[in-house]
Amino acid sequence: MNRLPDLSLETSPLTLVEVIYSTAIRDVMSADPISVARDTPMSTVQQLMRDQGVSGLPVAEDGRLFGIISVHDLIEILQQGKLDMPVSACMTERVVTLEEEMPLSLAISTFSKYPYGRFPVLNGAQRLTGIITVRDINVALVNRLLQQVSKFESMLDSEVTPGLALSRVFHTRQHDFENGGKASTTIKKHLVEHHVDRSLVKRVAIASYELEINQVVHSIGGTISYRITPEAVEILVQDRGPGITNVDKALTEGFTTADDWIKSLGFGAGLGLPNAKRVSDIFFIHSEPGVGTTVKAVIHLKKQNQEKEP
Amino acid sequence: MTLAKITPLLKADVFHGPDGYETTAIAHIVASDLMSDVLVAHTEDFVLITSLASDQMIRTADLVGASGVILVNGKRPPASLTTLAQELEMPLLGTALPKFEACLAVGQALLQDTTV
Repeated sequence: MNRLPDLSLETSPLTLVEVIYSTAIRDVMSADPISVARDTPMSTVQQLMRDQGVSGLPVAEDGRLFGIISVHDLIEILQQGKLDMPVSACMTERVVTLEEEMPLSLAISTFSKYPYGRFPVLNGAQRLTGIITVRDINVALVNRLLQQVSKFESMLDSEVTPGLALSRVFHTRQHDFENGGKASTTIKKHLVEHHVDRSLVKRVAIASYELEINQVVHSIGGTISYRITPEAVEILVQDRGPGITNVDKALTEGFTTADDWIKSLGFGAGLGLPNAKRVSDIFFIHSEPGVGTTVKAVIHLKKQNQEKEP
Repeated sequence: MTLAKITPLLKADVFHGPDGYETTAIAHIVASDLMSDVLVAHTEDFVLITSLASDQMIRTADLVGASGVILVNGKRPPASLTTLAQELEMPLLGTALPKFEACLAVGQALLQDTTV
């Protein structure tokens, strides 16, 4: 049997990690699955499996899950010639289930752990809302990775200039202070090595670091993409939520939603976003509660375009 | 003023001194435990005086272009901090003096110094 690859955070490409952690099972599963009641005869199960082309059916009544019946169970019953038996006598009762809100990564690891071909999916109220198969995962992964590839292709420079020009994507995780700041440090080092003016390096470093720390502190994780050309440094910061309720307030100096723990680490004074905006030539922010926040900050490297002081 | 001249004034320990750190120019002080404040300081050629001995402190110092860091109140840097200071080539000193006393000592030296 072909097994799914080990998709650990440490060894997988960041784009893939981003996709499998940011996609919810709800967006991948087949919703409103056909189910059978406990008293359904196995002959009906045989007919349903044949007509619908499925190899397993959840056993549920009014959304409450009682078990799962697979084609293997059916074969056994066929051999015994007991097609009039009810599903309840043949089904597997101890079913491994997944929940809608869980990330796709968890579904993948569950498939790796158990030899089953499908798992019923429950909502927060423990009601059956879907079923997920390896095929569902494959389709979702291919589609999402295609979207990401298109995005990267549009980001790539048409001509690759050695040296200063650089396109790089970094990944942040919620409250990961150990790695928070590594992206900014890496980019700052790159600019210094390529002899970018000291005051410009400082502006890029401040904008980048404020946005990076914000993502670590306030979001559930996301990406920081840099596009460096001889003309400008473009920083694109995208997170997966929870989003900012009032963006104007968040841009006001001193406004903060940080807790004491974050403050004990020397952050959370409510200066981050205004400071990132202050040092940027172009600053754009869009946030949607429940969806996430996108910030774009541009610092021009050519003198005629510069507006800000470091 | 240089880090070399400051070190004896503070009876400072040098936890990390990259090549040539002794001659690094110091013209100003930024003293804070709040990294958010350090990130809004409009200063060049400054030394950061702080009692925050965290990895993010040294990252902040590096990103804003600090010339060096002085830890106060006799704080010893955790191993990860020293490693990061080495990686970022950031001079890291420590003094037993409290923050205000350390600022006062460096500040007076800066005022008397004409060889910035």
